[in-house]
Amino acid sequence: MSNVRAIKDYVIAEFAPDVSADELDTDLDLLKAGIIDSLGLLKLIAWIEDHFQVSVEDTALDPDNFRSVTAIETFVETAPRQRVEAG
Amino acid sequence: MVVASDIHAGFAATVERRPDATALVWHQETTSYAELAELAAKARAEIEALGLDDGEPLAIVAHKSPGTVARVLACLELGRPFVLPSPTLAESALAAVLERTGAARLTDGVGFMLTTSGSTGPPKVVPLGHPAVDRFTRWAGERFGIGSTTTVLNYAPLNFDLCLLDIWATLRHGGTVVLVDPDRGADGAHLRDLIVEHRVAVVQTVPMVYRLLIDAGASAGSSAGAGAEGLDDVEHVIVTGDALPARTLAELPRLFPRARIYNVYGCTETNDSFVHEVGAGDEAPLPLGEPIDGVEALILSDDGEVIAGPGSGELHVATPFQTDGYLDPALNGVKFFDRAGTRWFRSGDLVRRTADGRIVLEGRNDFQVKVRGVAVNTAEVERVLLDHPQVAEAAVVALADPVAGKRLHAAVRRAGTDRLNSLVLRQHTADHLVQAAIPSVFRIVDEPLPTTSTGKVDRRSVADSFTTGPPEGASQPATPPQRWLTLRPSDVPKTQVNRQGE
Repeated sequence: MSNVRAIKDYVIAEFAPDVSADELDTDLDLLKAGIIDSLGLLKLIAWIEDHFQVSVEDTALDPDNFRSVTAIETFVETAPRQRVEAG
Repeated sequence: MVVASDIHAGFAATVERRPDATALVWHQETTSYAELAELAAKARAEIEALGLDDGEPLAIVAHKSPGTVARVLACLELGRPFVLPSPTLAESALAAVLERTGAARLTDGVGFMLTTSGSTGPPKVVPLGHPAVDRFTRWAGERFGIGSTTTVLNYAPLNFDLCLLDIWATLRHGGTVVLVDPDRGADGAHLRDLIVEHRVAVVQTVPMVYRLLIDAGASAGSSAGAGAEGLDDVEHVIVTGDALPARTLAELPRLFPRARIYNVYGCTETNDSFVHEVGAGDEAPLPLGEPIDGVEALILSDDGEVIAGPGSGELHVATPFQTDGYLDPALNGVKFFDRAGTRWFRSGDLVRRTADGRIVLEGRNDFQVKVRGVAVNTAEVERVLLDHPQVAEAAVVALADPVAGKRLHAAVRRAGTDRLNSLVLRQHTADHLVQAAIPSVFRIVDEPLPTTSTGKVDRRSVADSFTTGPPEGASQPATPPQRWLTLRPSDVPKTQVNRQGE
């Protein structure tokens, strides 16, 4: 659940700063609603990798994985953790 | 009777002679000509099972995939007209397109029915006859050397007229098409990898994409500690759809060291009409160039006088590739007319002929702008916003953006004091127009928008307020406070681009 909150906060801060967390439905299609465009998607993915320390493989770059707050949450839960580089 | 399409005939010949040749590359998977023919045969059976009347058009929603390409090939083989609606159209806009095409009676020989962008109301359907498309694919193959060993990058969405070159001319001539997934279209490194890995020889796209490729090359070069490598396999680079910025023009020859570079002017209704091959010393803005063989061009002043020498006016063209008119003839009125035995198309572009005979684009004669390569009419976006019950006033302006070309900024005065936020307005815009028409930045205020002396919304002043901040001394509304809402990042990862234009 805490991930949902973090994802919501990021999406709002970055893409919809006049919207409150309550107003952003976790199932809203962020791509279709024009909140996140293709440039925004890249930025979102960079943030997910950085914030959750997960690896987003090229094969996972399906926009469906990032379509809504719920979809992002599911993706983060199942994505492989980044390996810590030795040395 | 079935009117044969040269695209299908050329495709079938390659299936026969070189079945194992690669027709398509999509998501790292290749589809050979034989495999594509198999998909097309399945699509043909599906279409026949629908039991449509002769000449009744089929709608193929233009999701990019080998399956969609196969459906188009099946229609071409069957001689069935088809419309390719954009997959980004809202349900209501899609329904409008389907309703109009479903009710249409088509003249013999129509194949492709493309749609205009849909930023000026419901998209207009543009039926193209097989002979016109065949002339175009023949010309494109000859002009850009597209043959049986040529690999061509397809960047544009499948419903765009640019695909007549990228995909359909290439399949006609037996080449290979590398399909770019529109969802990864902003990923310059990905695009660069596709070009390198598949040894792409022909690239046609909008200026924004060349900027992404240049930036991706620069970051690849700096991380390797060496200069960016050029894309050596590319032989022909076609820039189209928008004016090429000076900085991008200057860097293109280094990105494509072995390529001939062209500025191509055209639109959905007429297809390509002018080509300018870039030479050393060319500066932005590039001229439109020479009319393609068989193309006629007229520059007309506001009162319809032909401008024969140097001067400015609206460009009118007649091409061997053009439509006879929109599917709905009622829309033809101002855009098509006959003059001295020629059917002319009114481009809506203002051009200037210089003393040395070059034709240069000066701008649109209306509110038409390009956002990420898509034509958008800002007046139409305003109209849609004003349709929302909680909106009292709306002004939409297009501001220069180094990556997107133009980004739309909307200033909205709300009616009453109900909570109105950008989510609501975005959803509302998305329901009526294409994605490119959804403003990137919204500012929602309680103050009246600035007006000109004639009482119209002063868009220039609105535009200035977006670049310089809110006017000083503007009183603050009670709730919520007036504030700046930047709803989309203006920077791409790894590239700082949110500088002001100029």
